[in-house]
Amino acid sequence: MKHIKTLTVAAALMGASALSAQAQELHFIMCGGEVRPADQKVIDDFIAAHAGVTVNMEAVEWGTCQDKSMQLAAAGDPPSIAYMGSRTLRQLAKNDLIVPVTFTAEEEANFQPGVLSTVSSGGQYWGIPHAFSTKALYMNCAVIEAAGAECKAPATWEELVALAKTVTDNTDAAGIGIAGKDFDNTMHMFLDFLYSNDGVVFDAEGKPALDSANTRETLQLYADLLPYMESGPTEWERDQMKDLFNDGQIAMYVTGPWGKGQHAEKVPTQLIAPIPHGPSGDSGSILITDSIAVFKGSGHEELAIELAKALTSGAAQYDLDSSWGLTPILDYEKLGMTDVYYKADPWPIFVANIKSGGPEPMVEDFKSLQAVFTNMVQGIMLGEGSVDELVTAAGEELAAVR
Amino acid sequence: MTDATVQQDHVTKATRRGLSEPVFAWALIAPALVFIGFIVAWPLLETIRLSFTDATLGGESYIGLKNYVDLFNSDKFYDIVGRTFYWMFLSVTLKLVMGLIGACLLNAAIPGKALFRILIMPPWVIPIAIGVIGWKWMYNGYFGLISGLLQEFGILDERIALLSTKTSAFYSAIVTDVWVGTPMVTLFFLAAMQGVSRDLYEAAWVDGAGRWYRFRRITIPQIMPVIVSMALLSAIWTFNSFEIIWILTEGGPRGATTTLIIDTYKVAISSQRFGEGAARAVVIVVLLALFSLAYLYFLNRVNRHYGAK
Repeated sequence: MKHIKTLTVAAALMGASALSAQAQELHFIMCGGEVRPADQKVIDDFIAAHAGVTVNMEAVEWGTCQDKSMQLAAAGDPPSIAYMGSRTLRQLAKNDLIVPVTFTAEEEANFQPGVLSTVSSGGQYWGIPHAFSTKALYMNCAVIEAAGAECKAPATWEELVALAKTVTDNTDAAGIGIAGKDFDNTMHMFLDFLYSNDGVVFDAEGKPALDSANTRETLQLYADLLPYMESGPTEWERDQMKDLFNDGQIAMYVTGPWGKGQHAEKVPTQLIAPIPHGPSGDSGSILITDSIAVFKGSGHEELAIELAKALTSGAAQYDLDSSWGLTPILDYEKLGMTDVYYKADPWPIFVANIKSGGPEPMVEDFKSLQAVFTNMVQGIMLGEGSVDELVTAAGEELAAVR
Repeated sequence: MTDATVQQDHVTKATRRGLSEPVFAWALIAPALVFIGFIVAWPLLETIRLSFTDATLGGESYIGLKNYVDLFNSDKFYDIVGRTFYWMFLSVTLKLVMGLIGACLLNAAIPGKALFRILIMPPWVIPIAIGVIGWKWMYNGYFGLISGLLQEFGILDERIALLSTKTSAFYSAIVTDVWVGTPMVTLFFLAAMQGVSRDLYEAAWVDGAGRWYRFRRITIPQIMPVIVSMALLSAIWTFNSFEIIWILTEGGPRGATTTLIIDTYKVAISSQRFGEGAARAVVIVVLLALFSLAYLYFLNRVNRHYGAK
């Protein structure tokens, strides 16, 4: 009898431990404040296909999300998986908080050019790109025509400045909205113009290369546009400018493909055009991705990678890109899809500048990198130095960024 | 049985159980000491330890005084310290002056003063973040009340974005800080004024003293200990004021509103350089400790001068 009792207890313990091995909960931090329907569908299918696996979704606003994920990891309680800006990957990788990701040659070939460079560091990939954006110039034709000008896309910076001047001189609106706040998209917008002038932040060997003639020309563009910008540009970040644009307070600004939907109701006569190019380059854009990263130490890294791969597989990714208005992250035609959404206007503009675009620079201390650009841009907006002085200072500051 | 007798009885019982009086006293305050040690001393010691490391997300190693050497060799650091003290001095002075004026008005025999006492409370009562977001909206050049009114009344021809230039952003942040901090100062001064004996005023009035004279020679001296105490508390709070600046400007533009606490947050939390951030935090503690010691010395002298205990 005693042996039977012992065996029963042992069997119960073994059964419980087997169950606990099977019952796994993935903690998924989703930056952006919401779980998009296309992602939720994949997650639901994943849970259905894996008995005993649950996914605890935590949607967190962008403002605090990335810091939260990093601090949880640093405190030894990492999320299993997180969707976050690719710019954070290098810092996480350097501190041994996330696991590297591998792609087959076929998977690599399916990504749009430049996309994988946004997640690579030290010869490895550290996340799976899951959202991609390029930028274009949005024009409020009603405002531009009220200024007596033709609503025609400016091709060069000279034409851009001239059009901005015409609007400012002849209407109550500002010619252009430029981001100048202490915020990441102040850097992003500057890079949109820098990459449209063949500029770089780091050279091919990864050395700082911001102190260049291309950067000087770009900052000079900001100086030339200054009289025609919105009032108090250091107070504005790009996402707030849609309100000024919709309100007819600015005639033009640069934003991503989501802008069309944001303006459609109030600015039915919007024109979307490639970002005008500078004297030294062709129209380009910053290539920004958000990625799915798998954290170390959760105890179920392989399962998390499996979920990440499911979320970013061809069909699931297409659903997300097309439903959410994102620049296509994969070349879906290579995957055999026809009649893809990005063949229709205005998508060719956003797709065309993928090849000429440049990456969001990957550094360990992203906030310091951001400060290099905001200091430079705000310096010209506040009249605190010449173009030459400010670019030289920015080059020195960049050299000190880890 | 009086309180003293009860206390004596407890001490006697403790002594009977083999506890000496000092041990019994320490046993009584031990829980409080443990609590304070846990929430104050341990974090402080940990911060000091971190300041001698290069702690980041991935780990830390001992680097001696490097964080402090880098900090004290940086011109930017001295700019920030100077700005922080200027911010504190200006803001506290305005709070004290406005608080004094407000308290005098509320202390005057005017009809409906109870209503005015309630009306002064909102800046202190509503959550700071909500109030500051309201101010941020008012300062906006396009949608803000201030710019709109100034244009409406013909004072300005063009929009004014008060948070967009260095000078206007700094003084706008001061105005908001004063708005948040003045009600409390006012209420403390008011309470002190109400404690001043009426006899003093009546005697002075009989002797022919005017209002201004009575204010200078009776009110101010009588409430001086409260003024000094409030100045010290307000100075510490203003020195460490974070949310007002962060919500309005995040320390910008171009660092114009970056005080020591904002700089510390940016380095330690935004850039995840915990070691460097800890060094800044230690500097703040030292500066505030020195400032407080000087103030307490001054407070003692004031109290002695005015006969307060």
